[in-house]
Amino acid sequence: MKTQLNRRYALVRLGAAIAGVLTLPVARKAKAAVQNFFVSSGAPKDYDATEHKWLMCLDATKCIGCGLCAEACKKENDVPPGPYYRTWVERYIITKPKPGSSDTRGETLVDSPDGGMHGFSGCPVPTAQIEQSFFVPKLCNLCENPPCVQVCPVGATFKAPDGAVLIDKTYCLGCGFCIQACPYGARFLSPVTHTAEKCTLCYHRTTRGLKPACVEICPAQARIFGDLKNLTPDDPLRQFYENNRTQVLKPHLGTVPRVLYAGLDEEVR
Amino acid sequence: MRRFRLPPQILRLVLLTLAIVGSYLVARTLLTPQSFGQYGWYRGDALGEIASRTPVFAGAKACAECHTDVAQKLAHSEHKTVACEACHGANREHAFNHDVAPLKVPDSYCLRCHEANPSRPKWFKQIVVKEHYGVTCTDCHLPHQPTQTP
Repeated sequence: MKTQLNRRYALVRLGAAIAGVLTLPVARKAKAAVQNFFVSSGAPKDYDATEHKWLMCLDATKCIGCGLCAEACKKENDVPPGPYYRTWVERYIITKPKPGSSDTRGETLVDSPDGGMHGFSGCPVPTAQIEQSFFVPKLCNLCENPPCVQVCPVGATFKAPDGAVLIDKTYCLGCGFCIQACPYGARFLSPVTHTAEKCTLCYHRTTRGLKPACVEICPAQARIFGDLKNLTPDDPLRQFYENNRTQVLKPHLGTVPRVLYAGLDEEVR
Repeated sequence: MRRFRLPPQILRLVLLTLAIVGSYLVARTLLTPQSFGQYGWYRGDALGEIASRTPVFAGAKACAECHTDVAQKLAHSEHKTVACEACHGANREHAFNHDVAPLKVPDSYCLRCHEANPSRPKWFKQIVVKEHYGVTCTDCHLPHQPTQTP
């Protein structure tokens, strides 16, 4: 049968298309109204993102390498099993210099078995050969100028007004640009949702007035977390500032992290 | 004088351009989510969606509401910085419904922190398991007051 392509037919089709497009916002509003009525969102209502500014501080001299933070993070955020971590603990082992050499220290060995989430038992290097060794907890550095946000082609990852760098899962395509852009290796592609995933600063906890799971669980108080816009006189954050000289990871990249470290060695990057 | 008339081919081009730009603007207003641009170049509603997860760990404050005696003992001991759920596990369900039994503490938890390891800070108390008295930790140490014996 030959397709009819006369003016009347085309006009009717065009009118139908316009009518269809015009009903879209009405349908969307109806859907939103129905959702509001039947589905009660678990999001805390009294939280205003513009009235907070979160800051995470890590004291590397206090970390005992128990890995409870990495384990708690997996549990709290339902992070997929396997080598996927939103926070993890790295072990640095710096060996003694070779006898006769003029170096002050030998090679640096970094490892993180299972992200440290089962603790660190044993040591891959004999104790006699170790010049220095320590643990460094790591997570998203909550950059003020985040490269991951700059490269996202669809605006799925963003910096919230309270400083948290978050991912809108309904927008994320899973292209992986942000994973390559992050200089701290803090992102991964979830094998479950096939979208990028990262530390949300336990957004569901902080918005309810709780500490992030890793901070809550740390037995050595190596992680200090606070709100710069609502500092109390005896805030642990203030004490951390007064008692430590702080630094950030990879300052030359200009990412301006909101995760501050105390007691870092120059080998830590 | 002859009146100026737009040549028909130019007129068609102008109309076509207007139609394309117009349909783009209409599609943009219809398809962009309402909360897009609320805080920045992203969907503002995403914040609430991410925050709507249910927490798993209750937090030490929730534990201390009922277990005041243990919390007070702990506050004066060496383990004062250790959160309840660091050893006892995530017990939010127990915190909100006391009929739900709390998780049991795994036995190996002392050694997870206190086993000697050259990477741990020197100020931290560590034991070489082989050289330590070969019994269960809790035979000599009270977990909530580790310097006291039961």
